[in-house]
Amino acid sequence: MTEYPDRDPDRSTAADGELDTCIEFALNGVKQIVRVDANAILLDVLRNNHGCKGVRASCERGVCGACTVLVDDLPVASCSTFAFSVDGASVETVEGLAAPDGTLSPQQRAFSECGGFQCGFCTSGMLMLTTGLLRQDPQPDRGTIREWISSNTCRCTGYEMILESVERAAELAGETNGESA
Amino acid sequence: MIATPESFTHDVHSDAASGGYTVYSLPTAAPGKRVTGRDLPRADATAKVTGRAVYNTDIVRPGMLHAKVLRSPHAHARLVSIDASAARALDGVTAVLTRNETVGLACYGTMVKDQPVVATDAVRYVGDIVAAVAAVDESTALAALDLIEVEYEILPAVFDVEQALDPSSPTIHPVEPRGGLPPYRNGASASLRSGHNVSYEFRYSTGSPDVWDECDHIFEDTFRFSRMNHMHLEPFVTVAEATDDEIEVWTATQSPFNLRQELGHVFNLPENRIRVHVALLGGAFGAKNGPKADPVAIRLSQLSGGRPVRFCMSTEEGFLTVSQHAAKLTVKAGVKADGTFVARTSTVLLDSGAYAEHSPAVAEKAGYRMPGAYRWQHIDTVCKAVTTNTVPAGAMRGFGATQTTWAGERQVDLIAQRLGMDPYELRLKNLKKLGEEFVPGDAGIDSDLAEGMRLVADAIGYHTRDRGGNRGMGVCVGLKDSGGGNKPAMARVKVTANGDVFLNCALTEMGQGGHSAMSQIVADVLHTSRDRVVYTRIDTDHTPFDQGTNASSGVVVMGQAVRNAAENLRRQVLEWAGEQFALDPATAVLDDWTVRTPAGEVYPLFERIMEYFGHTGFEFSADGYYKVRNDADAPLAARCVFYEIGWAAAEVEVDPETGKVTVLQLAVSGDAGKVINKIGCRGQDEGAAVLGLAQALFEEMRYENGELLNAEALLYRVPLAEDIPERFVSITQEQGHGAGPFGAKGMGEGGMLPIAPAIAQAVADAVGAQLTELPMTPERVFRALSIGGVSSLLPLSHA
Repeated sequence: MTEYPDRDPDRSTAADGELDTCIEFALNGVKQIVRVDANAILLDVLRNNHGCKGVRASCERGVCGACTVLVDDLPVASCSTFAFSVDGASVETVEGLAAPDGTLSPQQRAFSECGGFQCGFCTSGMLMLTTGLLRQDPQPDRGTIREWISSNTCRCTGYEMILESVERAAELAGETNGESA
Repeated sequence: MIATPESFTHDVHSDAASGGYTVYSLPTAAPGKRVTGRDLPRADATAKVTGRAVYNTDIVRPGMLHAKVLRSPHAHARLVSIDASAARALDGVTAVLTRNETVGLACYGTMVKDQPVVATDAVRYVGDIVAAVAAVDESTALAALDLIEVEYEILPAVFDVEQALDPSSPTIHPVEPRGGLPPYRNGASASLRSGHNVSYEFRYSTGSPDVWDECDHIFEDTFRFSRMNHMHLEPFVTVAEATDDEIEVWTATQSPFNLRQELGHVFNLPENRIRVHVALLGGAFGAKNGPKADPVAIRLSQLSGGRPVRFCMSTEEGFLTVSQHAAKLTVKAGVKADGTFVARTSTVLLDSGAYAEHSPAVAEKAGYRMPGAYRWQHIDTVCKAVTTNTVPAGAMRGFGATQTTWAGERQVDLIAQRLGMDPYELRLKNLKKLGEEFVPGDAGIDSDLAEGMRLVADAIGYHTRDRGGNRGMGVCVGLKDSGGGNKPAMARVKVTANGDVFLNCALTEMGQGGHSAMSQIVADVLHTSRDRVVYTRIDTDHTPFDQGTNASSGVVVMGQAVRNAAENLRRQVLEWAGEQFALDPATAVLDDWTVRTPAGEVYPLFERIMEYFGHTGFEFSADGYYKVRNDADAPLAARCVFYEIGWAAAEVEVDPETGKVTVLQLAVSGDAGKVINKIGCRGQDEGAAVLGLAQALFEEMRYENGELLNAEALLYRVPLAEDIPERFVSITQEQGHGAGPFGAKGMGEGGMLPIAPAIAQAVADAVGAQLTELPMTPERVFRALSIGGVSSLLPLSHA
């Protein structure tokens, strides 16, 4: 978790009669300081203020998981998260998965290779879910993968190819870590 | 891709002589360099896994306004008055659309045009659009809606197809809408407004009714089919920039040219003043045929001085926009004592909701597809699209066939039980053979139906199963004629001097992998890598005409247009090379943007083209067209292009104390004819099977006294990864008889058809409960157990 001990409390002010707040967070590893309405939703802030269009808006009720991002390594539905609540946190979106030179992450390679998507609208959320899972459990068994993936909806694939993608991602991530070790 | 033993491709070597089919060979590519048929990642993979894919929801135009709509809280009411003056006066509001602003606009709908842009005389279902607002942001638009005052006079409403047919029930559309009928022939016919609250009626009849006299048994059963919501993850969304003279939309549609035509009709504009752009679709499953968010966004833009207006519906609004058709199906079958099928008649009542939407087309298919996979000497079917005060029903994956397969296959199982026969053997005895006409005048069946049954049955160990333990198995086959018969498709392929390829056609990518498949076809014909082919953005001003992406016909109908375009282009390039290099274009080969002769000469094209055109560059361009021929004998005016067949086998365990059904094994199979993209084919069958699984067991829009109880993501349960059966097998067959490029057939709907009946038969096999209604909830299964299911049935032979 990113700590900001020198945060200036005066930055949270009421301007023009609107309740807003100034927050700091790390977005895909880059520090951001933004003023947001007190009731601003993380999904909207990411899509509209930061251009993270890969974060998909669908049910907006925290059910389908298309908007899943990682907050301090854990998957959350950004449509049901107040922006102010990520103050001081690390937020990761699908845009942060590939290396700056465009090299795909093991998760992205696995989903691409195994066909873990069709329309692709759920894919950003599924990839973040997978990334969060592999951080918690680098070698999850099939049951664990099913349980995690069940928090998001895919209407196209029938899930089997997504489950295979996650298994393959674990394999690829293991290889990558093995190489770097 | 990991090879798993559960997923494999089975190549069935059928006797081509029996059906007279040709298996197309690849035109140029050597086997080692083929692009089609390989386990290639989809062409859209990188864009989708990096989040960079642009969907219609991502479209932003400068100065864009946002729309919200006011929906009716009543199922049926006369609009007495609407006062929108306070809404108009609100800061930030640019336009308010009520019936007063729709003067001169026409209604829309497929074949029956009865749906207005906003309600005019009355509202006809809970959720009907009454008014709309455009404002600088969504919250202002929502605030304005609260200021609109509507006075309603409640009218009696009708929520059930049988009630709706009763002449004493309210007439939902007092004024007859505009409508038209396709040119049916040879036993098929239709009529508009054939009865009280019937918008469209399709009939099909063939063979002599005298054959009933030959039947030893006549059985009549009634089945009910529930209603699903598409729940595609990307909502209905449109950004419109429109004046009274010109319309431009960026919209989530499967059918951009149909939409252009419909908008021309609604807004009374020539089609060359309307421009439709389509980005990637985040799922559709049939829902994105016909206008959805478009008319409201367009009218609001016109009223806002031409500023762009975005109307993006919520998931909840999606539930109030379109659904699948619920149905009541009565099927009568005449059979001989040995199980030979003789005659089948049926009456299908489709709940088409408050507006006709796509119902006429669905009615046509539900009427025509009733014969299913079997040989009947006499068929007589009627299907009525019945108007009720519920959400309009439209196209959804396998439409018509999902309903008829449920009833038709279920009745086969009931007949088997009555005759004391094995349902598998009864099917085998009556299945049509490869090449046998579906009905007189129509095309021959282009898959070996019995072979597919054997594959799925073997995959779950159907013939070697142990009886008992409340476990049972079922096998089923669903068949639909393809929808591409009357569909023209055009495509254009361009190549730069460098050999970079543009593929320009209007097949929309909604997840099915169509762009990938089309690019692979082009790459194969031009003998180049798929990565050199770019699928250009769809824009009706520049993209060649196509009737729409539906009925799994893309890979066959558009596929042939694309193949023709690529072949025309290849011919053009080789002819040019023939003149330039004094070689014979008939024997020369195009290979990686070089021309090779049989003598071994190699001519790289880039240098020669640049030299010829004075180093300024050039593009070769060629068009392709495809339309299956019209046929005077074909009931639907053209012979079926291909048949889409789904086979399924299921093993279930039923808890007799609760009625809960657990699917232990599910095997699904489709015939790709010839695989273009393996990943794509597999995804299509598995995705369809899971929709079928949900329809079988739990997914349903629940109405109670006209109130839709679960119209939102929190309450409407769609399948999750944990709902997938413990063993889930998909088998992509390549029987090679398809009408598409290289023998390909369409995929994606077939897999949905047989799932619910296969599971139902497995339940009957397990515990003797014969279900006739979907979904098979624990409550229904328990009830069927306690009353012994359908009356007049002999006990199951093993029970």
